[in-house]
Amino acid sequence: MKRRIPVVPCSGIGKSLGAVAREAAFILAEDLSPERTKIVALSPLVMGDPETCVEVSGLPAIAIDGCKLECAAKGLAAAGACEVHKIAAFDVLRRRRGLKPEGVSELNEDGRLLSKAVAEEAAAVVDKIVGEDEDA
Amino acid sequence: MSGRVLELAFDKFIFRFPEDLRYSESGVWVRLEGRRARIGLSDFTQQRNGDVTFVEPKEPGAVVRTGDEIAVVETIKVNVSVPCPVAGKVIEVNGALEESPEFVNLDPYGKGWMAVIEVEDGGQEYGALMTADAFLGLARRQAEAEARR
Amino acid sequence: MPDLPKKKVGLIACSGEEMPEGTVSRRAVREVLEKLRPDDAVALCLPLFLAGGEGERAFARHYPTITIDGCEKRCAAKATEKFSGRPASAIVVTRLREGPGTCAIGSARCLNAAGKKLAEKVARAVASETDRLLGRKER
Repeated sequence: MKRRIPVVPCSGIGKSLGAVAREAAFILAEDLSPERTKIVALSPLVMGDPETCVEVSGLPAIAIDGCKLECAAKGLAAAGACEVHKIAAFDVLRRRRGLKPEGVSELNEDGRLLSKAVAEEAAAVVDKIVGEDEDA
Repeated sequence: MSGRVLELAFDKFIFRFPEDLRYSESGVWVRLEGRRARIGLSDFTQQRNGDVTFVEPKEPGAVVRTGDEIAVVETIKVNVSVPCPVAGKVIEVNGALEESPEFVNLDPYGKGWMAVIEVEDGGQEYGALMTADAFLGLARRQAEAEARR
Repeated sequence: MPDLPKKKVGLIACSGEEMPEGTVSRRAVREVLEKLRPDDAVALCLPLFLAGGEGERAFARHYPTITIDGCEKRCAAKATEKFSGRPASAIVVTRLREGPGTCAIGSARCLNAAGKKLAEKVARAVASETDRLLGRKER
């Protein structure tokens, strides 16, 4: 696969889960899978910015949402990604009961741990997508 | 939900209060269905507490008095003990909340119901609970007090 | 019409993961909300706004808004205008950067000291606009 997999975080500003989604996207695209993924911002995508839409159109993409309102997943689906793989920090949090992420400007320790866990789950999805592409 | 729904808009939040329900002061709604009362968290209470991650209700068969803990709700912010608004016996709990606790946030008066209780007193306690209008007034006062803090 | 004990201003920042100025926008809004004008401002979540969040859109229809965008794509300003109404004030971070001696501000993931200073400058501009929209004299 030549084009990198677009990763779109919700980056919600009102809840710590939005900040977790954002940080997880950075961990994925800069640390875990820098050659296979690329962060694409949600707002220009939804607003129809042509440069941004081209990054996503026809590609499988990963939406990293904070909560179950799934703003990033909805935006990606509307923008023409051929397949949207959804990850919600909320679901990852349920699998790591006891973590209490706090903060939006600066995440607390639990928030940073959760971001890392979300990024690792997203990296597994990247492996799956790349594996399927190589098989095809 | 049937019937009219009152709304309170505060800051960027919109809180809804169906008129065909009654409400306890702690923000639990009650729908009387014959001799049974279906309960859940009001829209105002669920928005204040944040995204629900786990709901642990009392088991069916449990006998509860008014004010006893009927469920523990864990959110990303807090763990909340939910006091029972009417006395009786728990006869059903919402199993869907185990996989999808977000129903409490996304559809608090529909899919987010928590438990059904067979009431003891034929509905008298229900009559003493707050109407939607009265609970809206309480919610407004609480929201204003929080905004001032 | 939303019911508020007092009038407030809605702040809408771009999500801005693609460039550090986007992160400056977010940081500036949180600074205003948490330190500079905690009683006077409300942060409206742009992703939720775009996805149809009724509370965010209703607030922006009835109360003045300030959009803070990282760059000239102006996603927050355009979205506000499209779904609720023209913002009362629109700030673009790249315009505040113009001038001699502009230096690197870090990455979208992590602002450096210069980036944090720029966020403070943007936050002060937002606070000043908030005061103006609420009819207050400069503090």
